[in-house]
Amino acid sequence: MAVDPTLTAITCAYTVAWLLEASRLFSRSAGRGLAVLGLVGGGFVAETCYLGFRTASATASPLSSSFDWCLLAGWLLVASYLYLTIYHPRNAIGLVVLPLVLLLIVAAALFADRRPIAPQPASQLWGAIHGIFLLLGTVTVMIGFAAGVLYLVQAARLKRKLPAPSGLRLPSLEWLDRINSRVVVISVILVAIGFLAGVVLNVAARGDRELSWSDPVISSSALMLAWLVAAALFEGFYKPARHGRKVAYLTVASFGFLLLALGTLLLVDTRHGGQRAKRLQRPSQTPAETAPVNASGGGP
Amino acid sequence: MKLQMIGCSHHATGVQIRERLAFNTAQAGVALDDLRKRFPEAEAVLLSTCNRVEIYTACQDPARVPSHEEMAQFMADFHGLPMYEIFDDLFARTGEDAIRHLFTVAASLDSMVVGEPQILAQVKQAYELATARESTGPLTHGAFQAAVRVARRVTLETTIHRRRVSIASVAVADFASEVFENFDDKRILLIGAGEMAAETLRYLQDQGGHDVTVVNRNAERARQLAEEWQGKAEPWERLDNLLTTADLVISTTGASEPVVSQARFKQIEAARRQRPIVILDLAVPRDFDPAINDCLGVYLYSLDDLEQVCRRNRRERDQELPAALHIIEEETARFMADLHHRATAPIITQLREGWHQPKEDELRRLFNKLPDLDERTRGEIRQSFDRLINKLLHPPLESLRSEAGQGPPHGLLDALKRLFQLKD
Repeated sequence: MAVDPTLTAITCAYTVAWLLEASRLFSRSAGRGLAVLGLVGGGFVAETCYLGFRTASATASPLSSSFDWCLLAGWLLVASYLYLTIYHPRNAIGLVVLPLVLLLIVAAALFADRRPIAPQPASQLWGAIHGIFLLLGTVTVMIGFAAGVLYLVQAARLKRKLPAPSGLRLPSLEWLDRINSRVVVISVILVAIGFLAGVVLNVAARGDRELSWSDPVISSSALMLAWLVAAALFEGFYKPARHGRKVAYLTVASFGFLLLALGTLLLVDTRHGGQRAKRLQRPSQTPAETAPVNASGGGP
Repeated sequence: MKLQMIGCSHHATGVQIRERLAFNTAQAGVALDDLRKRFPEAEAVLLSTCNRVEIYTACQDPARVPSHEEMAQFMADFHGLPMYEIFDDLFARTGEDAIRHLFTVAASLDSMVVGEPQILAQVKQAYELATARESTGPLTHGAFQAAVRVARRVTLETTIHRRRVSIASVAVADFASEVFENFDDKRILLIGAGEMAAETLRYLQDQGGHDVTVVNRNAERARQLAEEWQGKAEPWERLDNLLTTADLVISTTGASEPVVSQARFKQIEAARRQRPIVILDLAVPRDFDPAINDCLGVYLYSLDDLEQVCRRNRRERDQELPAALHIIEEETARFMADLHHRATAPIITQLREGWHQPKEDELRRLFNKLPDLDERTRGEIRQSFDRLINKLLHPPLESLRSEAGQGPPHGLLDALKRLFQLKD
């Protein structure tokens, strides 16, 4: 597999930024915050240009391959991270968010298919809705996971009555709690819309384009949606689950279901998103990369 | 150039004297005006806080700086006190010691609670007031601007300001603020009337907490406290209901056994639906059963827990102190070197001007002898002369700069004056 220098540079920038964030645990440094912002900001600009270039050079539906989809999810996460870091500069949010970004980039580079999906005029709108909403749902679940992990760490520290390490400050439990509660509701709405758009797309599909309802990607996505609905109902009807560790556990568990769905999309041999036989013929950055494949959707 | 300070602080002067010598903002303005009238050539900045009263004076001409006795007399006169009553309580610093003291004060290393952040703001206000009253000048401008920079450097490069060492500040900043994002919408319940509760409540109100409810076995005492803290008093019998709705509890009763047992709190916990609650149990013996901390959403801190953190913070702060003092020393040395170097400026100017005239004379003579030289050649010759003078002047000026780093270069300045026949 050919090494993509831009992706390697972006990965290095985010990795160094994460290492700098992690060093807050051990020491305090005056310029570290700016260095982290500079590295992540630089990586973000590079990733934006990279995605822009791929959009401009796509011959079929732009940014519709699972490769682009993973990178876009990471890009949105970085944008959220930058926003939060600018408004809460002392909080070490990157400690959890940056590994998720790296996970998405590495998954894209190693496992994802770079070929875009063939445009289908009749279902273009539903395809876009399917891809965009599942993308936003994924990012929301990941933000919820980060907030959930930070909540559990912070709550454990406060229960054990330990002061915060000198250079590391985590957000307050109240703030994390608010993020977690919102994520449970917002993620179920986004994923449900994306999933239903996928159903409409598949119902409208004819012949070779139609997917089996037992397709592993559909099953794992349905399972994730079912969990998110259950979590939202649990939070809605059981008042104690609106606060504290319970809602944090819900968001962390949601991430487990997301990983299952993403893993199925990227690793299992399936026709969803044009994935079939991709490991038999993985193109590098050649004209073949931009050749469209027959498929019905952009997301998991 | 001379800069000095006279004043008193919490280190050696009791609050009774400090109170009598303190200046409020209006008095400080008037005092600066009076100083200006009495010592027209002196720059002055007056810093007056709960823990210190200090007047910094400076003058380009050391002979015109008011003496310590004159400043003590000024303070005594202003407050209508006999000088003998206050003189022994005052201390003075001059030159480098005064600068070091100012930097140490601004960086909060001389505060009663080392690392408290208010002092820097007070130093800035004192400087701004003096500037507004036109009693500052180049020396005080330089010293106070450097003090603010040094204080920021200490904050950035050490953790000394992050290490809180009082029970109330640790309770609020290290724990309650980590649970709650803000306090303006939180219900604060005060049980009992201990001194520690008052201090903690003050911190919480500084952070925006205003919904305060007071319960006390003595209804009259509860009413008084509620009035004092602009809260409301509730009867002791409503304690369970109040604990159900409270977000933050400060408990300081004098009860000999726990006021709230685990069994009692279990009933409250069910009604709270696991909503987070921070309980600061500042009573000895404790008011809340420690097992309550195991309940979901409860963050219970006893006096022992908070004292443990205070001790650890104090240890870590003490470890940071040498680094902070090192910054102060470094910055003081840099400031003094700059100051001494600045004092050499008139001599350097004279030296340069003294060499400039012979250079111009020689060039004129040369160009008269060689009238056919074009402009480019003349420019080259002029540049060569300039370079030669710069090269000749470089070693003495470098020696002067280096000497200024060690202290006032009086010897070298005298030598230069005599060698090159320069005048003061």
